[in-house]
Amino acid sequence: MSEPVLSVENLSLRYRVAGGAVAALRNVSLSVRQGEVLGIAGESGCGKSSLAAAMIDLAGANAEVTAGAIRLRGQDILRLDQAARRRLRGREIAMVFQDPMTAFNPVLTVGAQLVDFQFNLDGVPGREKRARARDMLARVGLSDPDLVMGRYPHELSGGMRQRAAIAAALLMRPAVLIADEPTTALDVTMEAQIIHLLRELRAQYGCAIVIVTHHLGVIAELCDRVAVMYAGEVVEEAPVDELFHDPRHPYTRALIACDPARIGKATGRLPAIGGRLPDLSDPPPGCAFAARCGIATDRCRTVPPPRVAPGADRGVLCHEAAP
Amino acid sequence: MTALLSVRDLAVDLPLGRWFGGGARALNILAGVTMDLQPGRTLGLVGESGSGKTTLARAILGLQPVSGGTLRFDGAELRRSADFRAIRRRTALMFQDATASLSPRMTVGEAVTEPFVIHGIRIASRRGKAAELLAEVGLPAEMAARYPHELSGGQARRVGVARALALKPSLVIADEPTAGLDVSVQAEILNLMADLKDRHGLSYLVITHNLALVRHVADRIAVLYLGRLVETGPTRAIFAGPGHPYTRSLIAAEPKPDPRQRRTDLAIRGEIPGILRRPPGCEFHTRCPVARDICRSAAPALHDLGPGHSVRCHFPETTSKGG
Ligand SMILES: Nc1ncnc2c1ncn2[C@@H]1O[C@H](COP(=O)(O)OP(=O)(O)OP(=O)(O)O)[C@@H](O)[C@H]1O
Ligand SMILES: Nc1ncnc2c1ncn2[C@@H]1O[C@H](COP(=O)(O)OP(=O)(O)OP(=O)(O)O)[C@@H](O)[C@H]1O
Ligand code: SF4
Ligand SMILES: [Mg+2]
Ligand SMILES: [Mg+2]
Repeated sequence: MSEPVLSVENLSLRYRVAGGAVAALRNVSLSVRQGEVLGIAGESGCGKSSLAAAMIDLAGANAEVTAGAIRLRGQDILRLDQAARRRLRGREIAMVFQDPMTAFNPVLTVGAQLVDFQFNLDGVPGREKRARARDMLARVGLSDPDLVMGRYPHELSGGMRQRAAIAAALLMRPAVLIADEPTTALDVTMEAQIIHLLRELRAQYGCAIVIVTHHLGVIAELCDRVAVMYAGEVVEEAPVDELFHDPRHPYTRALIACDPARIGKATGRLPAIGGRLPDLSDPPPGCAFAARCGIATDRCRTVPPPRVAPGADRGVLCHEAAP
Repeated sequence: MTALLSVRDLAVDLPLGRWFGGGARALNILAGVTMDLQPGRTLGLVGESGSGKTTLARAILGLQPVSGGTLRFDGAELRRSADFRAIRRRTALMFQDATASLSPRMTVGEAVTEPFVIHGIRIASRRGKAAELLAEVGLPAEMAARYPHELSGGQARRVGVARALALKPSLVIADEPTAGLDVSVQAEILNLMADLKDRHGLSYLVITHNLALVRHVADRIAVLYLGRLVETGPTRAIFAGPGHPYTRSLIAAEPKPDPRQRRTDLAIRGEIPGILRRPPGCEFHTRCPVARDICRSAAPALHDLGPGHSVRCHFPETTSKGG
C-alpha cells in the first residue's frame, strides 16, 4: 500500500479559555494515502473541525498543540517556519471550511477572490484564471457563474456560498483536500453532484480527500476509510464496509442506529444516544464514553481503554471490543 | 380552522441593476407562492439551494420587501411595518448560519437572553434565565460565559434554539435547524422542538434539505424549485407517491447509509438553470427525465393528486399509493 500523503501522529491540541483549557484533541493518530477518501464522523463538539483545521495548520489563535506531529509526505509541518507553512497551504493542502462565510472576504466579490485563490499558478494570465474560476463554478453546479462572480459573499444563498467555497478549494488543485461538512447546505441532488465531482477529482489527480460529515449516507457513498471520533479521540477506525456492517465501538453502533435514514416509521420522535459529551476541560479518567455506554463496566469508568485491532487497517478504543 | 400563517400568491423581485449596470430589470426570486400553516402543525419547506427558501422566510417576517401577494398571520393581513412588528414578537427565527448569526462580542448567556432585552421584558435574573434556557437545549450553564467562536458548530446551533425559544413564540421559522449536527444531537433538538410543540401548541415552518428529517417531523411538505412551489401535500402522501419529477429525484438521490448500495450515476443530467436564465415553460424541463415538447413551451398549472396534494407538472406521476 502506498505511503500516506498526510499523517497525524499522537496529536493533542487544547484551547485556552477563560479559567482553563479545553482538551479538544487527545492523542489522535490518522493518515490518508494518495487517492484515498477518509471520512471523519462523530458527535457535535468532539473535535472534528479542530482536527481538520490542525491538519492545515489553521487552528485558532487560542489553540495550542501540546504533543504530536502532522506530517505531509513525511515532513512535520509543525516544525516549519511560518513562511514555509503558508506556502504549503493552497499549494499542497486546501480546505473547505464548515462555515463558508469564513472562506471569503466580505468586501470583495466572489470572482475577485476565486482569481486570488489561484496565486499558486505562477505565470497563468488573469484572464485565464477568471475563465478557470467560471468553469469551476459551473462544475460545482452554479448555473449563472457570471452572476456569482460579480456578487459579494453575503449576496449568495447559503448553499451557493458553500459551492463557491468548494470551487475555491478545487481551483488550487491541492494534493490533499480537507472538506469540513461540504454538503450540509445543499439539497440531495446537488450533494450527489458534489460527491460525483470529488470522485472525479480523485480519479483525475489522485488527490487525497479528508471529509468531515455527519451525513452517514455521504460517508457510505464516498469514503474508503472512516474514523469515528468521540470527545477528542478517534474511537474507531475501519474500512467503510466494515464500519457499517461490523462496527465494534459502542459509540459507533449507537451513532449508526440513530440515523433517521434507517428509521422507517415516522413517529415525530427520533432515537438519541442520551446523556452528553463529557466536559473536555476535565476529561474522565477511564473511557470517555463510559457514562453513556450500555455495556460499560467498572473498569471502563476508571481505566483508559486500550486500542484493540480487530482486523487489518482497523482500530477500536474500547475495553470490551476484543476480537 | 383559521390558518396561523397564510401565504397567497407571494412574489419577491430583487433589482438587478446593481450588478449589471442599471436598467429596470428585476430578478424574479419568488412567484405565486401559496401555502398555509395550521396552528400546532409543522410545515416542511424543501428545495434546491438558491430556490428562495430563506427569502420566503424573510418575506414572512417583513425583512424582505414583497412585490405581490398577501400574507396573513392569525387571520390578520400583514401590510404595514407595525403589522410585521407584531408577527415578529410572536415568531422566532432560527438562522441558517448558526455561528455567524450570533454576535461575536456577546457571550452565549447574553445572546440567549437578548430577546428579553429587545422586547423590553423584565426577568429576575439574566444569569438564571440563561442557565435555564441552555439546560433546555442540553448545554451546561458554564457555556454562558463563552463567545460564539469558542463553540463547535453544533453547540452554536443549540444556542440558536435556546434563543429562539426564549420568548415562547407561537410560530418558529427554523432555517436548517439541524444542519451540521450529528444524528443524535439532531434527534435531541427535533425531539425538543416536538415537545415544545405538544406543550405550547407551537407551529413550525422548517426549512431543510434533509429529507430524512422532514419525513419524520413535518405534517405537510412544500417543495420549491427556482422560486416556484412545484408540489405541496401531506408528508405521507408525498413520500408514498411523489407527483413532481423534481420531488421524485430528491427522494431518489438521498444516499443510503450503506456502502454496498453505492451508485455510479450521481452527476446531474441536463443543464442546471438559474434565476437569470429561467427556462421557458416548466422550469424543471432542462433536468426532467420525462419532459416532452409542451414542457419546453407552456408553464404547467397546478393539478390535484389527492386531498390537499397538488403538483405543478404537465405529466404528474399519478400512481400515488395513498397517504
Ligand atoms: N477557539 C476555540 N476556543 C475554545 N474552545 C473551542 C474553540 N474551538 C472549538 N472549541 C471547543 O473544542 C471542542 C471541539 O470543537 P470542534 O469545533 O472541533 O468540534 P466538531 O467536532 O467540529 O463539532 P461540530 O460537529 O459541532 O462542528 C468543542 O468543545 C468546542 O467547544
Ligand atoms: N442579499 C441578496 N442580494 C441579492 N441576491 C440575493 C440576496 N439574498 C439572496 N439572493 C438571491 O436570491 C435567491 C434565493 O436565495 P435564498 O437565500 O432565498 O435561497 P435558499 O433557498 O434559502 O438557498 P439555500 O438552501 O442555499 O440557503 C438566490 O439566487 C440568491 O442569490
Ligand atoms: S470502553 Fe467500556 S464504556 Fe467505553 S465504549 Fe467500550 S464498553 Fe463502553
Ligand atoms: Mg465542526
Ligand atoms: Mg437558505
